[in-house]
Amino acid sequence: MEQSATYEGQPLHHPKGWWGHYVFSQDHKVIALQYTTVAITIGLVGMILSLMMRMQLGFPGLFDSIDANSYYQDVTMHGMIMVIYLLTALFLGGFGNYLIPLMLGSRDMAFPFVNMLSFWVYLLSVLILISSFFVPNGPTGAGWTLYPPQSILEGTPGGDGLGIVLMLVSLVVFIIAFTMGGLNYITTVLQSRAKGMSLMRMPLVIWCIFLATFLGLLAFPALFVGGIMLVFDRLLETSFFMPEIFKGGEVLDYGGGSPVLFQHLFWFFGHPEVYIVALPAFGIISELISCHARKNIFGYRMMVWALVAIAAISFIVWAHHMYVAGMNPYLGFFFATTTLIIAVPTAIKVYNWVLTLWHANIKMTVPMLYCLAFLITFLIGGLTGLFLGNVSADVPLSDTYFVVGHFHMVMAVSPVLALYGGLYHWFPSVTGRMLDDRLGKIHFWITFIGTYLIYFPMHYIGFLGVPRRYYSNEQFDFIPASVGDLNQFITICALLVGASQFILLYNFIVSATRGEKAPKNPWGACTLEWQTLEAPPGHGNWGDRLPVVYRWPYEYGLPGATADFIPQNVPDEQIT
Amino acid sequence: MSEHKTTTEQLILKLSHAQVFVYLLLVVITILFLFVINAYVFRMNFDDWQALPDPRLLWVNSGSLIAASLGMLWASKASKNGNRDNYKLGIFVGCLFALVFLIGQLIVWQQLISLDYFVASNPANTFFYLITGIHGLHLLGGIVALAVVAYKSQRLSDVVLLSSQTSLLATYWHYMLVVWVVFFGLFLTT
Repeated sequence: MEQSATYEGQPLHHPKGWWGHYVFSQDHKVIALQYTTVAITIGLVGMILSLMMRMQLGFPGLFDSIDANSYYQDVTMHGMIMVIYLLTALFLGGFGNYLIPLMLGSRDMAFPFVNMLSFWVYLLSVLILISSFFVPNGPTGAGWTLYPPQSILEGTPGGDGLGIVLMLVSLVVFIIAFTMGGLNYITTVLQSRAKGMSLMRMPLVIWCIFLATFLGLLAFPALFVGGIMLVFDRLLETSFFMPEIFKGGEVLDYGGGSPVLFQHLFWFFGHPEVYIVALPAFGIISELISCHARKNIFGYRMMVWALVAIAAISFIVWAHHMYVAGMNPYLGFFFATTTLIIAVPTAIKVYNWVLTLWHANIKMTVPMLYCLAFLITFLIGGLTGLFLGNVSADVPLSDTYFVVGHFHMVMAVSPVLALYGGLYHWFPSVTGRMLDDRLGKIHFWITFIGTYLIYFPMHYIGFLGVPRRYYSNEQFDFIPASVGDLNQFITICALLVGASQFILLYNFIVSATRGEKAPKNPWGACTLEWQTLEAPPGHGNWGDRLPVVYRWPYEYGLPGATADFIPQNVPDEQIT
Repeated sequence: MSEHKTTTEQLILKLSHAQVFVYLLLVVITILFLFVINAYVFRMNFDDWQALPDPRLLWVNSGSLIAASLGMLWASKASKNGNRDNYKLGIFVGCLFALVFLIGQLIVWQQLISLDYFVASNPANTFFYLITGIHGLHLLGGIVALAVVAYKSQRLSDVVLLSSQTSLLATYWHYMLVVWVVFFGLFLTT
């Protein structure tokens, strides 16, 4: 394999000692692992919080420790942890850091020091978030949307204490970390590609991470501004968002502010955030489907432009989260229309994945199982989104369990399935060992079937009008007793699915040390991360010479070639 | 790094890594400030809005920021020409007047507080403190970066080696000036 003689033998930086190699490392691969470890750890906390919520819903009053306040705190922290500190951090900080330089044929991120700083600031944001569990009155229980006025008032858990302040400060710190990492990703993608790696030869997962990072850089400032203004309202008693409020017949110091302004700022960030999570999942699925079906991706350019369209349109749909906030009907019509339009490029992607599978040589590996599960789950989650995107259907369904079922299918289960597929796929590249296939399949089937048993019933409960976020449903006559039975069933399934995640953790830990040794390119992938001189790749990734790219990343089943895949760095004359 | 310069993409963009990074950062900061302006315009239409007086010191502060920007322009040119004395003078002027601006802004805060224009008394006040505070913090970040480059310059034999970094710092200073002009204009006209 030919490689360009452009590297002068100078390493990017010199890690010194154990601390330099593994703790304050500037190597993108180590930073990726650090991001992944912290994100999965905080994700486990988020999962345990969700199980505590489920215990209350399935078996009300069974645990004295779960009262109304702690329930709301669990709801809030679960949502925020999963969306921001797990999924965003893991997809971009974890997968982004690991894959961008390796897949583009670079030695590292454009600014390794800033990259390292990004991780440590992210860790700081997580620690600030966690610290809110230990302050008087605990963390905020305002719901993950943190809507004022209730989020900063007495009566809401953490509203008059430090809980809400720590949440907002943590978010601001997270955004600073994300900005440092994000600017690095964009600069690396634009500037540090190997020779021959044109934009239209980049793997789709890199396109997805690139665009998701753009979305983050453009959307997070809205949350940043909203967060700082809310801190002002909470600590300095200003009235950006606070209307006139009476308490016990007496007017509070607030007055004249607009809670809806916060909603606009929050959702201007919040909706692109859905795609910040979804786009990397799309990218991972594109890589995995093509590789494990041994077939080139269908409609590469169409896929890229569909991604660009999704990213652009995602900025003009945010108010579909606010139909019940008292919106001008014409504005609602506009946002309903844009919401339905975004389904078009999304559907293009789904069709292209299905067409990639058509007549393909599908290998039923664990990553492929996750891809197939993702396709079905994302389709179902997307279809229920059509209900909620329409104002007339959304109004009665808003704030019911139908919404909970919908968004968990589309932006929790789907991305997590892609995430797991990605972890199984790239684990050999990171550790040099294979994950246990049998344990992987057991984990997959429990997770896949289990999540359907959890979230499918929620749609029916939602149609009955059962409100989300309520601590207890027992005092409402319109809710039939069967809802309680169904809630018990969901809780038992959730406990099983939750417990099954430890199979994955066990598989990770055991396979990383004692797993079967992986060949250099175990899946027969064309992309560059599998073509390094050392496996797993060493510091600087490429030895003395950077790779040169001759083709696109999906050269599977090339007519006339003996091998069923041609790596990106193999020139035409070396194809046999 | 030498390997970066061999890619065709680098030639297409004709920008250094640092330039891409800083220009993108300016885009992100611009969006941040646009959201603040958006919220400002939205909130000022409510009945309780009472505009603040515009202290004369704000004009002096604006002049300081212009001087700081000119100083950085001078430093940038001097570093390209390898003129160490002019470079040091430019950096000194850029840093000094940026600090004068920040101290001036703090004095304006003090003046307003002494006139009972507290942060929570009125949304117009709150926005004034918020905007000047965020703008000041961004400038402070620039001063930290400037200090790092100035420290590096003492160890280098030729300031030409810092020309790209100094040029980007100058860009940041000009950008901060433009942002301040926009905000000052907003305060004067609303």
